[in-house]
Amino acid sequence: MKNLSILVVDDDPVIRRLLEQRLKKENYQVQVAEDGYVAEKMLGQQFFDVVLTDLMMPGTLGGIEVLEIAKDINSRTEVVLITAHSSVNSAVEAMKKGAVDYLEKPINFDELFLRLDKIANMQTILRSAQDLQVAMDTTENAASETIQSLEMQVAKMRQTLDEIETILRDDHLADYNKIAKALDLVCES
Amino acid sequence: MIKINPAELKLVAQYIQEITGIYLDQSKSYLFETRLSSVAEAHGCKSYQELQVKAKKDSTKAIEKSIVDAITTNETLFFRDKGPFELMQHKILPELIDARSSKTSLKTQIKIWSAASSTGQELYSIAIVIKELLKDTPGYAFTLLGTDISDAAVSQASYGKYNRFEIERGLDKKYLQKFFTLFGDSWKIKDEIRAMVNFRKLNLMHPFTALGKFDIIFCRNVAIYFTLEDRKKLFNKLADSLADDGYLVIGSTESLTGVCPRFIPKRHLRSIFYQKQ
Repeated sequence: MKNLSILVVDDDPVIRRLLEQRLKKENYQVQVAEDGYVAEKMLGQQFFDVVLTDLMMPGTLGGIEVLEIAKDINSRTEVVLITAHSSVNSAVEAMKKGAVDYLEKPINFDELFLRLDKIANMQTILRSAQDLQVAMDTTENAASETIQSLEMQVAKMRQTLDEIETILRDDHLADYNKIAKALDLVCES
Repeated sequence: MIKINPAELKLVAQYIQEITGIYLDQSKSYLFETRLSSVAEAHGCKSYQELQVKAKKDSTKAIEKSIVDAITTNETLFFRDKGPFELMQHKILPELIDARSSKTSLKTQIKIWSAASSTGQELYSIAIVIKELLKDTPGYAFTLLGTDISDAAVSQASYGKYNRFEIERGLDKKYLQKFFTLFGDSWKIKDEIRAMVNFRKLNLMHPFTALGKFDIIFCRNVAIYFTLEDRKKLFNKLADSLADDGYLVIGSTESLTGVCPRFIPKRHLRSIFYQKQ
């Protein structure tokens, strides 16, 4: 099984079935929705790495709306739009709204698989960057605790040394008194 | 990518230290290559030596600027490490307001400086804390200054626009909704926060007494790239620029031990700040 979960959204049952079969054959984890409303419900229930949606669908929830819903639920979900040649302009609009890519009909499957590979690679890189960041934060927290407590200890020791110096330089005290007081300070610290 | 040879490494490292104070370990040749290769290519240079010679000769300093931009662009985040901002909210600001107010009928002036502001996240985070703490209480006049050595960083900071990767880590959703506006695929800081701050270019290696004295200085995670000598000079100058009862905040993994005896560390909860002796 490939490491990418895909939600296919298309009102055309033939295309939906075709996409589902071809993607499953390539070992992707695929689920399908017949319109924007079903897609919205499914996106609310589970996380998908990729949403592959038709741009033009009947009803008020078209591809652009599915894009907005998906991004709103989880901005890590990548959305690829499928468009007719005549609606390339709206596809460009969709890219501005955060779609990762678009494909023109009729679907060239080699092209689709290539783009999915790219998305998978990108997500792997993103995930390892996040893992590294978590590791870095953890290390940094541990380091800062150590460094800060050392910093406070050094400051305290410096203060003690200053006080000892003042006592030892005090001409009004007898030598044994100086030493006794200095030793007290050392013991306290 | 243009490869760098050992002789060039020494030459370029020295040059970068001269212009930025940043001391780059010569064992990290990949760092020079990944950051400077495109700069060299953009200026038609086939080697790093050629780039360094050309940059030195260039009286417009355009090449020097792009080298500084490439070397110093560091990732910063909103509320990176919550400690310093909690410290400011719960300790520093209340103390300062107490110390400064009610002496006259004039507005209480508080000057804050983010000494290596990069692309602005730290200073905007400070502005957000002040806005949240004081709402719009009259009687306070805050001056918030951010400075950075990189022109590119200063202009991005001034613009206040960030992509979702720069925004999503560190920034609470409530702050995002409240203080940012969605702008295409990016988020832009709202005018009410933008109007509180100023950014300008400054090289910390150069004198900066002209900026006046500050009540709070943030100088986090920049001196770590300097040699010990340069660090001593920097913190000594910062001590001169800090009000007698002012506060210095450095990075949580930094230390001033053996760097500047004029500052003494003080602890508040899980954070440390410094004050002059």
